[in-house]
Amino acid sequence: MSLLALEFPPVSHLFDWPTIWFDGTPLAVNKTVLIYLAATAATIVLFGLAGRPRESLVPAGVQHVAESGVNFIENSVVMQTIGPDGKKFMPLLTSMFFFILFSNITEVVPFIQFPANSRMAIPITLAVLVWVIYNVVGVRSQGPFGYLKNSLFPPGVPKVLYVIVTPIELVSTFVVRPFSLAIRLWANMVAGHLLLVTFAILSATLWEFFYVPAALPFVMLILMTAFEILVSFLQAFIFTILTAVYIGGSMHPEH
Amino acid sequence: MLSLLAQTGPGEFLDGLSAIGAGLGYGLAAVGPGVGIGIVVGNAISAMARQPESAGMVRTTMFLGIAFTEALALIGFVVFILLLP
Amino acid sequence: MARTTVKLFAALGATGALLLAAASPAQAAGETIGGCILEQVHHAEEEYGSLSAVEADENAFKSFEDDLEGCVEAPSPILPELDEIIWGGLAFVILFGFMAWKGFPAVKRAMDARSEKIRADLDAADAAKADALRTKSTYEAELAEAKTAAAAIIDEARGQADQLRQDLQARAEADIAEQRARAANDIESSRRQALDDLRTEVAAIAVGAAERVVGASLDADVHRSLIDGYIDEVAGAGRNGDGN
Repeated sequence: MSLLALEFPPVSHLFDWPTIWFDGTPLAVNKTVLIYLAATAATIVLFGLAGRPRESLVPAGVQHVAESGVNFIENSVVMQTIGPDGKKFMPLLTSMFFFILFSNITEVVPFIQFPANSRMAIPITLAVLVWVIYNVVGVRSQGPFGYLKNSLFPPGVPKVLYVIVTPIELVSTFVVRPFSLAIRLWANMVAGHLLLVTFAILSATLWEFFYVPAALPFVMLILMTAFEILVSFLQAFIFTILTAVYIGGSMHPEH
Repeated sequence: MLSLLAQTGPGEFLDGLSAIGAGLGYGLAAVGPGVGIGIVVGNAISAMARQPESAGMVRTTMFLGIAFTEALALIGFVVFILLLP
Repeated sequence: MARTTVKLFAALGATGALLLAAASPAQAAGETIGGCILEQVHHAEEEYGSLSAVEADENAFKSFEDDLEGCVEAPSPILPELDEIIWGGLAFVILFGFMAWKGFPAVKRAMDARSEKIRADLDAADAAKADALRTKSTYEAELAEAKTAAAAIIDEARGQADQLRQDLQARAEADIAEQRARAANDIESSRRQALDDLRTEVAAIAVGAAERVVGASLDADVHRSLIDGYIDEVAGAGRNGDGN
C-alpha cells in the first residue's frame, strides 16, 4: 500500500511480532506476551504496595490509585449492575479491569507503543471466561430450566413474538455475546494503533520532505495519543461493566 | 477496461475488488452506528441537563449504549481488516 | 469468599481447556515461515521436477512466487495465537490468584478499616462533644447556683446587717432613753434630796433663829410641823413662781 510515496506496512505486520524466545514451541514469547506479563506484574506490584499496612490515615501514591480503582469498580460497576450480592465478584472484576487497562495503556507508553489487546488472545480468553461464568451463575441461581426459560423466553413479550424473539435471544445470548465482547476490545485497540501508526508515519515522511506541513499530522498524533488514553480507560471500563451486566442479568432476571 | 483486465492477473483483480469492498463496507458500516451514537449521547446530555443529580447513572448507561451501538461499527471494521488483501 | 474463588478458578481452567481445544487446529494450520517455504519448494519440485524448471515456466514461477509470499504473509490478525493465549491466560490466572488471595482483600481491608476508623473517630468526637456540652451545662448550672447562693448570702448578710443596725439603733435608743430616765430620776432624787436637806437645814436654821428670837424653848416637834407647813407653802409658792 503506498500513498503519496508513503510506505505503509501491511496491517498484519503492525500487529504480529517476531518471537523472542522458545521459537516453534507453544510457549513462544513475543512482545505481546511480555506486555501481558508486565501488566500482571504491574497490577500485582500496585496492589501489593497498596495493601501494605501503614499508619497514615490519608491514602497517598499507589495506595490511592488502587483504592480509587476498587472504589470505582464497586460504586460505578458492581453496585449499579449486580447489586450488593455482586461483591463476591469484586476480585475478578478488579483484576480484569486493571489487567485490561495496563495491557491497553502500553499503546501510548513510549518505546512500547503497542496495545497488547490488539492481539485477539486476551480479549477472547477473557470473553470466553465471562461466558462460562455468567452461564454458570445463571444456572446456579435460577436452575437450568429457569435460566433457559428466562433468557430464551423473556417475560412480558406477547406470545406470538416468541417466534422471532427466541431465536434472536438464543443467538445473541449464547453466541454473539462473547464474540462481541472480545471484538469490541480488540477492534478498538487495533483501530487506535492503526490511527497512531498512520499519523506517526505521515509525520515522519512529511518531515523528510519539507518540515512545515509535518506539524499538522504531528498535532493530530498528539491529540490522538490523548484520545487513545481515554479509549484505553473506556474499553477496560466497558469490558468490566459488560461483564458485570451479564453476570447481573443471569443472577437477577428482569430486575 | 477489458484490456486492463487482460493485463492484470486474476489474483490482483480479486485483490482490487476486495479492497474496494473493504473500503465501501467499512464506510457503510460506520453510517448507522455514527447516527446511533449521536442519538445516544445527545439524549444522554439532555437527560443530564434536565436532571444533573442523576448524571452518574446516565453516564454509565450512556457508555453501555455506546458500547452496544459501536459494536456494529467494529464488526464493519473487522470485516474491513479481513477483506484487506 | 474462598468457595467463590475456587469456583472462579475452576471456570478459568475450563476456559483455558476450551480455548486450547479450539485453538489447536488453527495452530496446526499456521506453521513457521521457514517450514512453509520448504514445503512450497518441495511441492514445486514435485510438480515440475526441479526448481530450474519452475524458473523456466513463467506462469509456474508466478504462482510459485505467490505461494512463497503467502508463506511470508502473517496470519489473519483476528485469529488468536496459541502462545499468546497460553501466556496471557497464565498471566491472568496468576493475577487473579494474587488478587483473590491477597491483593484485593488487603486493599479492601485497609479501606474498610479506614472508613471504620473514621466512623469510630467521628463517633468518639460526637461523644466527646456531647460530654463536653454536658459538662458545660453542669458547670453553668453550678455557676448559676453559686450565683444565686452568693446573692442569697449577700441578701442575708445585708438583712443581718440591717437587723444588726436596727438592733444597735434600738439598743442605743433604749440606752439613751434609759439614761435619760435615770438622769431624770437622779435629778428628781437629787432635787428631793436637796429639798429634804434644805428643809432640814432651814428647819434647823429657823428653829435656831426662832429660839434666838423667842428665847423660849419650844417643843421641837411642834416646831417641825410648823416649819414643814411653812416650807411647803414656800415650796408651793416657789413652784408656782417657777411656772410663772
